[in-house]
Amino acid sequence: MHTTRSSRTTLAVSSVVLCLAAAAACSAPSDKSNSSSGGDSSAPIKIAVVDAQSGENSALGAWEYKGAKLAVDQWNAKGGIDGRKIQLHLFDDKGDPTTGTNIASKLASQGYAAMIGTAESGVTVAMEPTLQSAQIPNITSGQSPQIIASKDPFVFLNGPTSTTYDATLAKYVIDTKGLKKVAMITNNGSYGKGEHDAFLAELKKRGLSPTTDQVVTTNQIDFSAALTTIKKTNPQVVFIGSEEVEAGLIVKQARSLGITAPFAGAAPQGTPVYISTAGAAHAEGTIVSSPYLNNEATAQSKSFAAAYQAAYKQTAELHGAKAYDGTSIVLTALKNSHVATGKKLADAIRATNYQGLLGNFSFDATGVGIFATKIGIVKSGQLAAAS
Amino acid sequence: MSLLNHRLARPGAYTVLLVIAWFVPYSVGSYEMHILDTALVYAVLAVGQGLVMGIAGQINLAQVAFLGVGAYTTAILTTHNHLGFWAAAVLAVLASALIGLIVGLPALRVQSHYLGIVTLGLSLAFLNWVTNASIAGSGSGIPGIPVPPLGSVDLSSDYLYYYLELVVFTLGLAFGLFVVRTRLGRRLRAMRDDSLAAGSLGASIPVLRMTSFLLAGVYGGVAGVLYAGLIRFVAPETFSTSNMFLLLAMVVIGGRQSLWGCVVGALVLSIVQNELTDLSTYSQLGYGSVVVLMVVFLPTGLAGVPSQLLRLRRHSTGGTSLTLGQFQPYDAAATTSAGEGVLLDLDGVTMRFKGLTALDQVSLTVHEGEIRGIVGPNGSGKTTLFNVISGLYHASGGTVRFGGTRIVGMRPNRLAHLGMARTFQNLRLFRNLTVREHLLTALDRTPTRWAWRYVLWPFGVQHGEKFLRAEAEQLLDRFGLAPFADAIPYSLPYGIQRRVELARAMSAHPRLLLLDEPAAGLNGAEKAQLAEIVGSIRDSGTTVVIIEHDMSLVMSLCGRVTVLAAGQVIADGLPTEVAANPQVIEAYLGRAAQNTPTVEDEPAALGSEEHA
Repeated sequence: MHTTRSSRTTLAVSSVVLCLAAAAACSAPSDKSNSSSGGDSSAPIKIAVVDAQSGENSALGAWEYKGAKLAVDQWNAKGGIDGRKIQLHLFDDKGDPTTGTNIASKLASQGYAAMIGTAESGVTVAMEPTLQSAQIPNITSGQSPQIIASKDPFVFLNGPTSTTYDATLAKYVIDTKGLKKVAMITNNGSYGKGEHDAFLAELKKRGLSPTTDQVVTTNQIDFSAALTTIKKTNPQVVFIGSEEVEAGLIVKQARSLGITAPFAGAAPQGTPVYISTAGAAHAEGTIVSSPYLNNEATAQSKSFAAAYQAAYKQTAELHGAKAYDGTSIVLTALKNSHVATGKKLADAIRATNYQGLLGNFSFDATGVGIFATKIGIVKSGQLAAAS
Repeated sequence: MSLLNHRLARPGAYTVLLVIAWFVPYSVGSYEMHILDTALVYAVLAVGQGLVMGIAGQINLAQVAFLGVGAYTTAILTTHNHLGFWAAAVLAVLASALIGLIVGLPALRVQSHYLGIVTLGLSLAFLNWVTNASIAGSGSGIPGIPVPPLGSVDLSSDYLYYYLELVVFTLGLAFGLFVVRTRLGRRLRAMRDDSLAAGSLGASIPVLRMTSFLLAGVYGGVAGVLYAGLIRFVAPETFSTSNMFLLLAMVVIGGRQSLWGCVVGALVLSIVQNELTDLSTYSQLGYGSVVVLMVVFLPTGLAGVPSQLLRLRRHSTGGTSLTLGQFQPYDAAATTSAGEGVLLDLDGVTMRFKGLTALDQVSLTVHEGEIRGIVGPNGSGKTTLFNVISGLYHASGGTVRFGGTRIVGMRPNRLAHLGMARTFQNLRLFRNLTVREHLLTALDRTPTRWAWRYVLWPFGVQHGEKFLRAEAEQLLDRFGLAPFADAIPYSLPYGIQRRVELARAMSAHPRLLLLDEPAAGLNGAEKAQLAEIVGSIRDSGTTVVIIEHDMSLVMSLCGRVTVLAAGQVIADGLPTEVAANPQVIEAYLGRAAQNTPTVEDEPAALGSEEHA
């Protein structure tokens, strides 16, 4: 046993040297199997949807997939693009950035033309370098300013950034309505934190500060401590930065504590889940900044909602609409460019002016295509455009 | 350890594995390459988790947080402070090691599932911090970590990054295996199996626990640096509790007591997990059932499979013979010091447990070269007395001197270094160590802090190992244990287990040997052998104090006998004098007449001390 020790070390060292020598003789390894869907002009066009299908954000991921699939099914029913079918493939990123990078490598090696998703800014940011080097255009549903900070020419947003949501909201609440005593309640998750920072920046821009700045956790149930503090400061409006269910609970408890001021927030506060959790009476008067107020806004949204209802037996909502818009933009760009890939497809997407459910898309250099949201007010359990 | 390790211990197998690993990138696509790269990060992390949880037995649920500390420190230092990648990497590993030590602090107070809860809490605290601190990207993560520069090698290629990882991983695994197979690893495993017995052999348990968390922190930090260089983006989701449980599953499925098992578990699970992303709906279900099946049917994990197969084969071929070898007597010491100096001196020792007084003003003097018998009815305080002498209990009153030094309040490991050794009434052998490893652990008399040499002078450690092994062979021969050297003691007959414990206690050639009912459960022939061994031990210059119920053994072996009853010394003298003492007869017979003695056990003593 002991006598073999030194010889074992020698062997190990010599084998490493041998390996290095052998490797130096050959060329460095690299990927030789890189295929592209652009090469074969009759094969289906491969498009990936990457979204959380398991874990906390799986509901979001499911909505996104439905929206994307609806768009693809409609195009395929009309005969595809240049006679080629569009193939949609779903990947589960579990909301985890590491899994996201694994999937990005997979898309790169399997010749996907474009990617739809993710709904989580963190995952999108993690995937960006790989997608950029593989030249795969990516239409994300994330809204963090971080996504566009990299100036990656292959990333596009299918909605406004969180800055736009809160700038529009602040403009309406403070400038138009003149409500200057604003209390804030946000959660410490990545969405809540982003909302917190964006809205606080808007207040500062106007030389204001919140009457109180309450931060709760993402899995909290009881908010009486934070709400009691808010009540003491007697605000004219309460800004809320939280996901649908938690926001509903906050509003419900606020009303029972006697807070009568209206709540103001971004897209989650316009959803049926929020309104039903809070109770329609409690949610009454909530001010919402969202690019997609309801399914009845335009003729286009009505037909989208009808198709969605027919396909999934469910009512359409914002996330599905965003994914539907994003996917339609990619398909339009593919059609306009006669199924280009890589840099050419990215350029075609940038050049696409698209009349979507969320508004008129016209992309700038950073990949943002829409720069405004609409203000809606909850009235008798329905979100309606502010007059 | 397992057969897998032994087989892989062959240099040929190592070389083959390394060559395969070296040429893997030439045959895989870029996606597979990336998966392998992330799998290797987890493999490094799993080696750390294997060391702290599998080898040292510390339930650590903060390993993914260590990964996070390494990754986030690298990210913050490179993007925020604009430090070079490698400088940031060194600081990141140091930071992670420091956090490892901090997370390890509770292990000094709590163990098992309590430790799990505390470490989980600390890792959630870390997660909460990175979600909220603006320096850590406020929950949306830190992008833009630079590609690690390495001469003309472009590490932004997953293919070339693999080689960096492979080198780091190989070094990490080699160092881990080196630790496990040498003295530090044996001490860690001994502590895992029975921290009390390990302490009484001279190992400092607090130092060992902190060392194991330090190792976990370092491996976590190294994995974190590799992660940061590979993904070049960090976000809180990567270090969530669900990933901690994934890591736990890797270690459990692979086999936590074998580092190879941990590595295999990490690689297999990383790859399987990514293969299953295409079947997202069913993956969670399938993956969950695999974990449950493994835990239920293969608790030792994949690494335990070969040794289980081997055991089955041994059973079918009849196994090895189970007779103890002959004891080879020690050489008598040059000067017989019988009756000269006082070695052990107890003066008015009192031990109280809440309301109960287990020892009441016990005074006792043992001279060098004596064999002292301690007898008394059940519950009279004999084992409590041993526990006070050997440092397990802190006496409530009185003084104990050992070789002239006051020792009340000294920890068992310090007493062991002063030359005290003991056996236990209920055997306290290490459940997963072989007989040889028991003796190797006991022979190692270096202070536990000596472990720094593993970093600064590993060759010295390797060199010392040779001498330890030679000494262990001698001991095995002397105690007739050579035929069972590679067996696990608990699989052997009771008489052999007793002999192993005696050999373990004698490994360091102590000045004082405390034997707690060494003849319990032995047959007549074994008792005769025991008497011969104890006599020889005394002749070699070791003083012996023996608690025993077998009166004929006590009478024939002991020079003097002390009788305890209800925590007090009621007689002390030559065996014949004591046997004729009317108080002694009353204590034995009176008790025996009133309540029939049932089980040979001390009521207030050993059961509770693990939690003390």
